[in-house]
Amino acid sequence: MKDRRGAHHNSALVSAITGVALVLALPIGVMVTSPPHTDAPEWQHAATVLLPQHAKGTLLLLAGTLIPALLLAVPSAWLVACTTPPANASSIGCFSSRWRCPPASAHSPMLLGPTNSLSAWLDASLGMNPDLLHLPGLCLVLAAVLSQYIYLPARAAFTLGMTAQLDAARSLGAGPLRRFTRVALLLAWPAIAAGALLVAIETLNDYGAVRYFGERTLTTAVFRSWGGLYDLDSALRLGSVLILLVDALLWVDRRSRRWAGRSTDQVPTTPILPTGHRAAIAVGWCAMVLALGAGLPLAKILVDVAQASSLTDWQEMGPAFSNTLLVAALAAAVTLAAAVAFTFRERHGQSGLWAIRLANLGYAIPGAVIAVGAMAAVGAIDRSDCLPFPLIGSLGLLIHALAARFLAVGNQPLRAGLEHQPKALDESAQLLGASPLRIFRRINLPLFRPALIAATMLVAIDFIQELLLTLILRPFASIR
Amino acid sequence: MNGHTHRHYDTDKTLFSRFTETAGITVNVIQAGDDELLARLEQEGPKSPCDVFITAYAGRLGVAKQRGLLQAAQSAILNANIPAPLRDPDGHWHGLTMRARMVAYDRKKVRPGAIITWADLAKPEWKGEILVRTSENVYNQSLLAAKAWADGIVANMARAPKGNDTDKLLALGEGLGTVAIVNSYYVGKLMASGEPEKQKAKAAIAVAFPTIGTHGTHGNVSGAGVARHAPHKPEALALLEYLSGDEAQHLFAEGNKEYPVKPGVRLAPELEAFGSFTPDSLNPEALARLNPDAIKVFDAAGWR
Repeated sequence: MKDRRGAHHNSALVSAITGVALVLALPIGVMVTSPPHTDAPEWQHAATVLLPQHAKGTLLLLAGTLIPALLLAVPSAWLVACTTPPANASSIGCFSSRWRCPPASAHSPMLLGPTNSLSAWLDASLGMNPDLLHLPGLCLVLAAVLSQYIYLPARAAFTLGMTAQLDAARSLGAGPLRRFTRVALLLAWPAIAAGALLVAIETLNDYGAVRYFGERTLTTAVFRSWGGLYDLDSALRLGSVLILLVDALLWVDRRSRRWAGRSTDQVPTTPILPTGHRAAIAVGWCAMVLALGAGLPLAKILVDVAQASSLTDWQEMGPAFSNTLLVAALAAAVTLAAAVAFTFRERHGQSGLWAIRLANLGYAIPGAVIAVGAMAAVGAIDRSDCLPFPLIGSLGLLIHALAARFLAVGNQPLRAGLEHQPKALDESAQLLGASPLRIFRRINLPLFRPALIAATMLVAIDFIQELLLTLILRPFASIR
Repeated sequence: MNGHTHRHYDTDKTLFSRFTETAGITVNVIQAGDDELLARLEQEGPKSPCDVFITAYAGRLGVAKQRGLLQAAQSAILNANIPAPLRDPDGHWHGLTMRARMVAYDRKKVRPGAIITWADLAKPEWKGEILVRTSENVYNQSLLAAKAWADGIVANMARAPKGNDTDKLLALGEGLGTVAIVNSYYVGKLMASGEPEKQKAKAAIAVAFPTIGTHGTHGNVSGAGVARHAPHKPEALALLEYLSGDEAQHLFAEGNKEYPVKPGVRLAPELEAFGSFTPDSLNPEALARLNPDAIKVFDAAGWR
């Protein structure tokens, strides 16, 4: 009897979680289901001209960003994880983990613009003024600011769980480089791949920096079709191609994890003390990564703030600041609650997983498009007058759209944290009669608390930075 | 009352505050891209709280009218303040300001009078000399005339299109090109700027207003219309009347370096120094109709 009640309880929970996933997937559902039924008058141009040109640009940008992002992040993560101060410049880890600059902001014009520091220096010292606002410059900017997505999980993976293997490799005569490439990289691969996936998706949905640099990607194709060809239906079809590409990347990520090394070891990696030129290289490398990804953009923003302080209406800043915190806190609570529930579902069952997978794809879609999807999903309710208040322009729809857009940022770290936990823990508890929910609450959840904190920080930063979606969906009156 | 606006200028905030002071009507606004705001208006439907839709590009007002998102709203004051070519005959939208699409050139390298029409810029003599934004930019989309012209401009670009109009002017100051295709209010703002990094460009440039055949100089009209389901139509009309009146037109001109639509309102000194021009006679609504064709021409010419 108790078993039957438990099973019933469990299946109700599964249905509820699938329901939450479907609600979060609504804006994407609208995007992928409406195009086949619409006219899309400019589809021929979009499919034959925009799609090939912009798909090529997208692939070049992806490769050009991922490679330098990996090169910047992985060695620094390794250096910080397995060397002692000062070589690991440990402050870099704690500083850069809390800071991420939006790619479209300060750094590109500051460093690469025609009249600015790097170009002016090249002109003055070498007599050359190359065009740096081009694909390679854009790749470098994106790699520098997004590499933190790889750095954070990679450092965590290098710090724990590979001591025995590294010691064994050392005793067999492997040098530092060989231990890094043949042992550490393989063991940390799931974490690195998870980070690289986030970098790839952020690159795919970037609009501001890509547009500023005049490059072409599938995201700019969506906006070109919508705002230039005046054809939202073709834009949604192009958006569906973007979703397919991200789904393919997710598939590659899952496949690549199969051959990665696994470890359940929780012993911290033994730090080593590099000396002489090795220490200098380590410090120099970490300092460069910090300067590119955080120092220079932050300096530029501070200079801009100082210059604009006389023009800023500080009276407006108070309410704007508290509104930002309120929306970020509410949206983070909703997103993390959903992410925890989905992680439970992924750990303890199979049904309904497609809904979770669909909901996670929102991260690939530009904020403006998600906002339009969210409005289309509830527009009929508003127009039918069945609710006493409109949903469009409500705080609820804003929170819903933010959660739909950034669910993956909350879900990915939790998933990676849970993957690290051996299944044997769950199986032992199950043998002792614990229900899946109890196992998750008493064993899984406490063990991935650090991942939960990291996920909360990452989503909160994204909520604060998201501009277009918030502008479109915000209520008329200020939220107080 | 509530407004959806694509204009993101401090001048507009001042104007709304002044309107509240004089008329006693508070204006709440949502500021975002015009395509996105049109999507919101469409989805909100009859329950939309929006009273006024304001945009920096009249082509979008044409789109809003076509989609049935605006309503006819006319008054003697609006008709008196706004010249007929700059408003919809049915009163669905009303032009409020104009910015000319113009060229800024290096005064040391180009003689005055060298650029009379937009077609001049497509000639081989300008090879490697032209600075211009991408074709994602709506100002370029509405300027585009023909494939042959786009081909000529692409062949003459000093570097691949990128950045905004201010970047073009600064690059001109650095000698990275000879001619920049820009919007007049960016040049006006540059000329009014005291920032040290802008002085070199200020000293280097002169301007011209190329024409399109006999059509005059192309411009981007900012305008507004009363939303179809506006809950506060009289207040919306009062706002439009205020924005087309002397005080607001002067603020548009002085604060944001735009050309006022109301005849007799004085230009900002920076714009006055550029001299006069004949505005394009093409109805802004035609721009909305022709925009998809412009995109196809840009793509065929390889103008990013």
